[in-house]
Amino acid sequence: MRTLILIILLSLSPSTMAATPMTGGITYTQDQIRDIGFEISYELRCPMSINQNLFDSQAPIANELKAQIFLMLEQGESKKAIIEFLVQRYGEKIKYQPSFSATTAMLWLGPLFLLLTIIAIAAMLIREQHKHQRTNGNSYE
Amino acid sequence: MIPELGLILLIISTVSSLLLAVIPLVALNTKNHYLFSYVKTLTGLMTFTITASILCLLISFITDDFSVAYVANHSNTQLALLYKVAAVWGSHEGSMLFWVVAIAIWGCIIVFSSKYRDRLFVGRLIAILASVIAGFNLFMLFTSNPFARLLPNFPIEGRDLNPILQDIGLIFHPPLLFLGYVGLTVTFAAAIAALLGGKLTRTHASYLRPWVLLAWVFLTGGNAFGSWWAYNELGWGGWWFWDPVENASFIPWLVATALLHSVVLSHRRDSFKVTTLLLCLLAFSLSLLGTFLVRSGIVQSVHAFASDPTRGMSILFLLGVFVCGALTLFALKANQIKSELNFTLVSRDGVILLGNIVLVVAAISVLLGTFYPLLFELLDIGTLSVGAPYFNSIFIPLTFMAVLLMGAAPLISWQREKFSALRPLIVLFIISLAIAEALSMLTGSGFNIWLLLGATSATWLLLCLGYLLFRLRHQGIEGLAKKSAMVIAHLGVAISIIGATSVSNFEQQELLRMGPAQGKVVAGYTFVYENTINVDEKSYTAIQANIRVTDANDNFIGYITPQRQTFKTNAMEVSKAGIMRNIFRDLYVSSGLQLSDTEYLIRISYKPLACWIWLGGLLMMLGGTIAALSGIYRLRVHQTVTSNSKPLNITMGELA
Repeated sequence: MRTLILIILLSLSPSTMAATPMTGGITYTQDQIRDIGFEISYELRCPMSINQNLFDSQAPIANELKAQIFLMLEQGESKKAIIEFLVQRYGEKIKYQPSFSATTAMLWLGPLFLLLTIIAIAAMLIREQHKHQRTNGNSYE
Repeated sequence: MIPELGLILLIISTVSSLLLAVIPLVALNTKNHYLFSYVKTLTGLMTFTITASILCLLISFITDDFSVAYVANHSNTQLALLYKVAAVWGSHEGSMLFWVVAIAIWGCIIVFSSKYRDRLFVGRLIAILASVIAGFNLFMLFTSNPFARLLPNFPIEGRDLNPILQDIGLIFHPPLLFLGYVGLTVTFAAAIAALLGGKLTRTHASYLRPWVLLAWVFLTGGNAFGSWWAYNELGWGGWWFWDPVENASFIPWLVATALLHSVVLSHRRDSFKVTTLLLCLLAFSLSLLGTFLVRSGIVQSVHAFASDPTRGMSILFLLGVFVCGALTLFALKANQIKSELNFTLVSRDGVILLGNIVLVVAAISVLLGTFYPLLFELLDIGTLSVGAPYFNSIFIPLTFMAVLLMGAAPLISWQREKFSALRPLIVLFIISLAIAEALSMLTGSGFNIWLLLGATSATWLLLCLGYLLFRLRHQGIEGLAKKSAMVIAHLGVAISIIGATSVSNFEQQELLRMGPAQGKVVAGYTFVYENTINVDEKSYTAIQANIRVTDANDNFIGYITPQRQTFKTNAMEVSKAGIMRNIFRDLYVSSGLQLSDTEYLIRISYKPLACWIWLGGLLMMLGGTIAALSGIYRLRVHQTVTSNSKPLNITMGELA
């Protein structure tokens, strides 16, 4: 089965494309299909391997999913729709980029919050020291 | 007999390290000069025994003593000598021993060197180092003894060293990384010594500076070499995948980078002392946390080769003891250590401070991303993955900020800078934005924020360095030499960013089925699959594809030969990419699944400027080494100048 899908995938050419039913409505060029297909397979995690993306993984399931991605692209599906489809089937864990939600808010906003807080503290400390020096009369100037 | 000797030596070194952890501190407390004089003897004893102990392990490897479990599990009579040596640090027990030996040797050099005149500081430092060594030695003795034996029924042939580790990478990558961690351990001990003494003088900072730089050079090498290794190995996610194990060594590097800039300021300007101390503690804690992450196996990684959940607890315990102890001490003593913050944010001091903040935030963000899936599972919210797309979207903007500050810092003056002096910088920034924009237009990639950020930061950094050299033109060789380390290291960062940006944005790739006599054009190069051959090497057999490459003008440029290797000892399969390199591009071919009798799934990539990533790493290491050596040299010069006025031996007065 796995090799079959791969053979289908790799022998895809404009002539076979006409045979696949268009459901998504987007028409890609072959180059776009390749680039977007690779892009998606870089951003998704192989459900079988330890920590590999679909692109790198040699596991059978990864090849099937890659074939699935290319098939859906041939059908004119958007990147978003394909990822959503795979998330529905395999769960949130398949995405290397977690979506923003209440539970991932800390993940996405934490760095920015931390940066601003530390800079604010540093600026405050410096200002305080300046004030202190001025009142003591031994200014640095 | 040799393994028993090794174990006994390990025990002796443990006992002497336990003594050494206590004696200097007691001697200083009771002002007992006589007791203090034992420091050198004990340090020598501890270092000698632990070094002899690892030599015993090495001898066991070389003589194929399979009665030692560690040897039996990681070596084999067929293994090449070089890998038998490297197998010493190839797995958990041996790498722990290697780590401890390196700490002991580094500490021993410090104790016996005449450069470090503040003997009280050195005494406290070696006590802390000895306590770390004691901790790890006890950990080894009780849970992961490298000399444990398989008696009486020992195997006549060992299992093999994990085939995937039989690579030049194993010889360099782990030792460099361990030496980096060892350097951070030494700086940690120095920070505790300073806290115990209640002060961090400029003399202390002058000691600390080369140690930090050396640690940083080793860490840079470890990370760069690891990335290069992963790039060559198929299935390791390429040159950087933000895998937890990669992050575990990258986080300490980020903090060490901040630390090295902070310690330079502490030394030169007598400022940022508390920051320097805190970063010392943070860097060491994070390197231990990384070790825990990798060794406990709690994260899923393609790079973890020595994980075992039972070890996790012991490392976590050591981590808890050292970190809690250190932070408590810091909380108690930090307020005694004062340094003036006599600068504004728009000044070289201020810009370096901001840069360090960005680096630390980057480190904590990477840590957050690495631990988030674990937190998620622990709190039972569900499962999720945090991978490359997330890290890139957080890390690239932070790097951009850091690089902006990094380019500007050497061009503005200490303490405070007039806003008018920033004018040339603004012009430089606009030029680099324009160049980056032009580049993305010319390459027809449309609006791509990542390309724009990468290209702008690299151009900005190069322009700033150029402008700096232009301003230094009247200062002669000496002025240039003083800046050379910084310029080389910063140039390295620019080169690495160029490589990374180029590979990430301009790579061209094809994935296709290929068999003999089939061809494909990628990025102007023609790849023709000529034939498949079987290769028989000492430790593996391989199916090798011979792929003929011609360039755009039909000139033959060579063969690329990706292999699928099967190891003889355990039938494990590994895929080695075939890479044709030059300074402008790498042509990368790997061979995957067999699809029919003659055809394979072949991946062909054109990776422009790929090797610049590691070239930049080498430049950073060169810059760091120059700075470290000149720091050590200056230490000596400084000492000879002052040596007439100070007696060599410490007196009771000094001890008080």
